[in-house]
Amino acid sequence: MADAALTTSSSSTARQAQRNRALSLNRLTPYMFMAPAVFIMAIALLYPLGYMVWGSFRDWDPSQTIGEAEFVGLKNYITLWGDPNFRESLWVTLKFAFFVVTFEMVIGVGLALLLDRNIRGMSALRTMFILPMMIAPVVVGLMWRYMYHPTVGTFNRTLDGLGLPTVDWLGQHALMSVIIADIWQWTPFIFILALAALQSLPRSALEAARIDGATAWQQIWYIKLPLMLPVLIVTGLLRLIDAFKVLEVILVMTEGGPGLSTEILALRISRTATEFRELGVAAAMSNYLLLLLLALTMGMFAFTRWQEARAARVRMAAEEDS
Amino acid sequence: MFDIMKKTVQAGAAAALMAGTAFANPYAEYEGTTLIVNFPAHPHYDAVMKILPEFTKQTGIEVEVDQLPYLKMRERQTLELAQDEGEYDLIAYVVFSKADYVYADQLENLAKYFMNPKLADPSYDADDLIDGYVYNIGFAGGSKGYLEGKTGSLFGIPYGSETSILGYRTDIFEKHGLEVPETYDEMLEIACKIPELEPGMGGVASRAASGHHASHAFLLHLAPLGGRVFDEQWNPIVNNEVGVAAANALKTIVDCGPEGATNFGFGEALGSFLNGDTAMFLDTTVVAGQINDPSKSQVVGKVDWALHPMGTRRGSQTGGFGIGIPSNAENKEAAFLLMQWLTSKEGDKLVALAGGNPSRFSTHADADVNAKFPHMATFGEALKYADPDWRPIIPVWGKINADLGTTLSKVLTEDLDIQEALDGVAERTKAVMEEAGYYTWN
Repeated sequence: MADAALTTSSSSTARQAQRNRALSLNRLTPYMFMAPAVFIMAIALLYPLGYMVWGSFRDWDPSQTIGEAEFVGLKNYITLWGDPNFRESLWVTLKFAFFVVTFEMVIGVGLALLLDRNIRGMSALRTMFILPMMIAPVVVGLMWRYMYHPTVGTFNRTLDGLGLPTVDWLGQHALMSVIIADIWQWTPFIFILALAALQSLPRSALEAARIDGATAWQQIWYIKLPLMLPVLIVTGLLRLIDAFKVLEVILVMTEGGPGLSTEILALRISRTATEFRELGVAAAMSNYLLLLLLALTMGMFAFTRWQEARAARVRMAAEEDS
Repeated sequence: MFDIMKKTVQAGAAAALMAGTAFANPYAEYEGTTLIVNFPAHPHYDAVMKILPEFTKQTGIEVEVDQLPYLKMRERQTLELAQDEGEYDLIAYVVFSKADYVYADQLENLAKYFMNPKLADPSYDADDLIDGYVYNIGFAGGSKGYLEGKTGSLFGIPYGSETSILGYRTDIFEKHGLEVPETYDEMLEIACKIPELEPGMGGVASRAASGHHASHAFLLHLAPLGGRVFDEQWNPIVNNEVGVAAANALKTIVDCGPEGATNFGFGEALGSFLNGDTAMFLDTTVVAGQINDPSKSQVVGKVDWALHPMGTRRGSQTGGFGIGIPSNAENKEAAFLLMQWLTSKEGDKLVALAGGNPSRFSTHADADVNAKFPHMATFGEALKYADPDWRPIIPVWGKINADLGTTLSKVLTEDLDIQEALDGVAERTKAVMEEAGYYTWN
């Protein structure tokens, strides 16, 4: 009897174990399905990133392999922090990104609000507006460089023709000039996204506003812009990230000069790697840039979260009231 | 007449070659080999492309050329040379790569090839190669570590090298009765007189843009004025009186230059001279081929050449390219044969006639070459003063060069005080040198 009981209990234990195995296998299934994706992500994303972080701790010359390079700990990061050229370059980058994104957002959204209507030939017009975005950055750089040319450039010849004093575009006003070129190229990006957002807005809200007698400005200010905001935030963020990384246009237009007045971080990183042959320092600089962008992105997401939460609270309050 | 001579020479060469084949052909062993070489997109190497078929015809060695823009070329080489087995058998490299490549043990020491009787051509005449170029581009391990000297040896041969020369507009100089400047004082005086005499025209076209360009222009004046970047103990002396004088010369040239000169890179400086916007041009000899090309130049037939003006001494720049054999090359011996052929008297003359920059004294004095390019005699004269040490070729130079260039750009555009600016450069340079270990023995 006792034996039988034992057998039963042992067979039930076996069954239990089997069930457990099946269960744990079941639990593992999703991970197994994810495995290829995780594997590819690790190879494609984490490995290069890890390589860069690892490289940034080394005194690494491009003639050496990463293994031969001497390990120097945080030295590259600390040296950079004390390097006035790096700090100037960081400041130039921040100024560039701020002005570029601000102007592009204002002009892009403004254009979208103006053109969100049925005009004849609208589709052709829209295509034309986004043309600058499609041009290769090097070409944009060359084009603007020749337009800014002190004697034969379009701008100075026009000014001269009108009897006005000419402007030293890429000299005294170099940063402004590259900002203008970037605005020209990338405003269309904001424009098409803003236009898409506008056209997908619920018509009912706008009609209700119109019936209530809202003016055009009030519609824009209280209805359209707040509803577009989530899209605009993401758009602005994308532009901001791009603005921190812009390289070719500035490289072609000014090579960072005069002085360091247009040497944004991406350009400094490229010069550090190729001209100064300090791959470790370049990697450390890239990591600083990465951290900065990460902070900005997280800040932006936190802001959106907070806004959504606030909107939800307002909605709840409104529902409770009714 | 010239054609007949050329044909005779070619027929002679062919006959000599056939005679040679009958006895012994040093190339026979390598016939059918295909060499892969890496050359820059540069006027000299465009000329080289024209003469390579002749090499294949004479030797039976095929050459495949990977021609890249020169900054791209350097990037590519950095990757290629670090491999265990490289793709290239022969590379052209810019002067400042010499330090990096030799230091990383990536270029073959040429001694063993010149020692090998089967490979070395007895009629090569190495003494005919231009001294300044060989020491600047080919040598390492000698004086200061990057020049000729008792401890030095040869890692490359200059090919497509250049020096600096003063181009001037004969019509403008004649019109105003100006003398061609011999000294720096004369040149600076005329440079600032030109805008008064010819409104809208600048004195000298010079590079000045931030970074490498401004630094290059400054160093161009530093050597003839008697200065150096470092003293014998590697202390930066760029901020001494001569350094300040060189920076002042650069500022004067830019201030009296064409409009927008503060942002001129090499292309813009040359462009302004070719456009007729300046009366003089002080830079590399490589431009000579473009001056009389009507599709590029508006000053055809109006330009003559003179030596780089003198300060306290004569000292024109040395730059351009050399060719060397990578340590990881597959066909090193055949590559050496190509290198030797290209830089031989015959090869040098052929490339000069095709529009390249010769690297031999004899080619500069050659009657055929002078008949085709009358400026060659002046260039040959200039080469005697080519200064191999006008800028230091040390691994940390890239960083110092960039700092010097951006700081000078601030002098030119933001009116930063020259002494203060150069003091800053010297201080930062000292730190870079300290870190790189140059004061270990002090």
